[in-house]
Amino acid sequence: MHKHRTSHRSIGGKNFIILPIIFCVLIIGISTAAVYSASGNFISMAQMFFSDGERDFSTGYDNIFVPIEEEDEDEDEDKENSSSERKVVPMSQVEFPSYGDQFGELIIEDCQIEAKLFFNDGVNELNNGVGVFTGSFIPGYGKTILVAGHNNTFFNGLKYAEKGQKVKIRTSYGNYVYEINDIKIVNEDDVDACNLGADYENLIMYTCYPFDELGLTPQRCFVYAKFVSGPALDNKH
Amino acid sequence: MSDSGKRFNFKSVVYGFLSFILGFLLFLLSVCLVLKFTFFSKDFMLESMANSGYYEMTKDELCDELQDLGHASGLPDEFFDDFVRGLDMVEIERTYISAFYTGSSELVDTDKFKQSLIDAVNVYIDENNIDNKKADENSILHFVNEASSIYVKTVKIPFFEVLAKYIKNVDTPLTVAVIGIAAAVLAVAAIIFFTNRYKHRRYRYLTYGLGAGFLSVAVVPIVVYSSGIIPKINLATRSLYNLFVGYFNSLFMYFWIFAGILLFLSVIGFVVYRQKYLKAIGR
Repeated sequence: MHKHRTSHRSIGGKNFIILPIIFCVLIIGISTAAVYSASGNFISMAQMFFSDGERDFSTGYDNIFVPIEEEDEDEDEDKENSSSERKVVPMSQVEFPSYGDQFGELIIEDCQIEAKLFFNDGVNELNNGVGVFTGSFIPGYGKTILVAGHNNTFFNGLKYAEKGQKVKIRTSYGNYVYEINDIKIVNEDDVDACNLGADYENLIMYTCYPFDELGLTPQRCFVYAKFVSGPALDNKH
Repeated sequence: MSDSGKRFNFKSVVYGFLSFILGFLLFLLSVCLVLKFTFFSKDFMLESMANSGYYEMTKDELCDELQDLGHASGLPDEFFDDFVRGLDMVEIERTYISAFYTGSSELVDTDKFKQSLIDAVNVYIDENNIDNKKADENSILHFVNEASSIYVKTVKIPFFEVLAKYIKNVDTPLTVAVIGIAAAVLAVAAIIFFTNRYKHRRYRYLTYGLGAGFLSVAVVPIVVYSSGIIPKINLATRSLYNLFVGYFNSLFMYFWIFAGILLFLSVIGFVVYRQKYLKAIGR
């Protein structure tokens, strides 16, 4: 029988670990370099499909609305009329709502409307109440507040809206009263129906029109309300 | 160094290099086979859909989205419960996926959906004695078109149409590549096996290559899972999220399977090498 000349050597087991590891590093290195050079742009683009954490698909919402004691409306209104000074709430005391948060409620007693008020007017928000368009402002800012709702659910009562009716918005930082002063029916593509750049506080509510009709209607009902009372938000504090 | 020593070192380098090439080819072969069995396989996609509960979830999501539309259209939630229950999402999705893998342009048929919805609305109008004034034809048509868009969005899988042309174009070359790489693997293994004078050395160099192939293939899922990237995939709906998390988990399972096969062959190679070596040195 032929005796191998390296019979004095060990079985060389460590080579079976070290060499495959070295080869593996080379294989992965070469492959990575080749893939990146061939499709680096595609890989960079693919990174857009990943976020920092697992996505939350819950359709629930956070409620930051804590009702505060309601002052006598008439008294409050008198105060507003007798003095040009408006009660001021420092911004530091206000918990600003995040997208989708319920931060208040909107009530029009004459129209039998009592709905949760959300920050954002997406599908989830309008399924649960009415929502402030995030390109407008929240009450107290001294600007336009644009609120949307479905005509067959929470804003169905807007069909009873009339001039002079009071609209109440209750938030955790103050209770607001507005008075309906105009109602307009416009086409869905009428961009002049609301002025989001107004430098005075006003409330605009809108929904699809006609009410109670089947299908997606091509018109919108806009209900305008002027500010009556409620604290101003002071963003200097 | 003596001539025999130099020759021995030179041969070691050459066979070491061939082992490296063998490992590289095994890695490429494994990657190509994984892609062939997963990304380029219609059955794999359909299996992933069935396993992730995709059909049931898309049905629920379609119903929810249509109900949302119903809130703006005066139709109650129950109307959509009944309507969506009548849709065969399994057949609709299977048709869509099949069209995608064959590169057809007609991916989602909306005509049947629209007609079914119009019929259902008409039945609802009749059953509820709704006044014609409250059922304007244009408003209903607008609603049906919007519902159809939601239906298409729900059935479609994002970016699949973009990828479809690549799948159609790359599938055949990939099959050729698999055959070519497999032939190259056999050729390199044959060179190592038949050109070595000593039997134990044949198995040694084959084992080096198999070990390198095993480690390289195993590195891919190890890197992916240690980065925790799969659960962070950002998709619009829960059904798509579950589908693709399951899809990628199954895809990387194939890497584990190939790594396992290569590990098994490496161990066999080492055991045979050891037996041959011990026999060679006469122990």
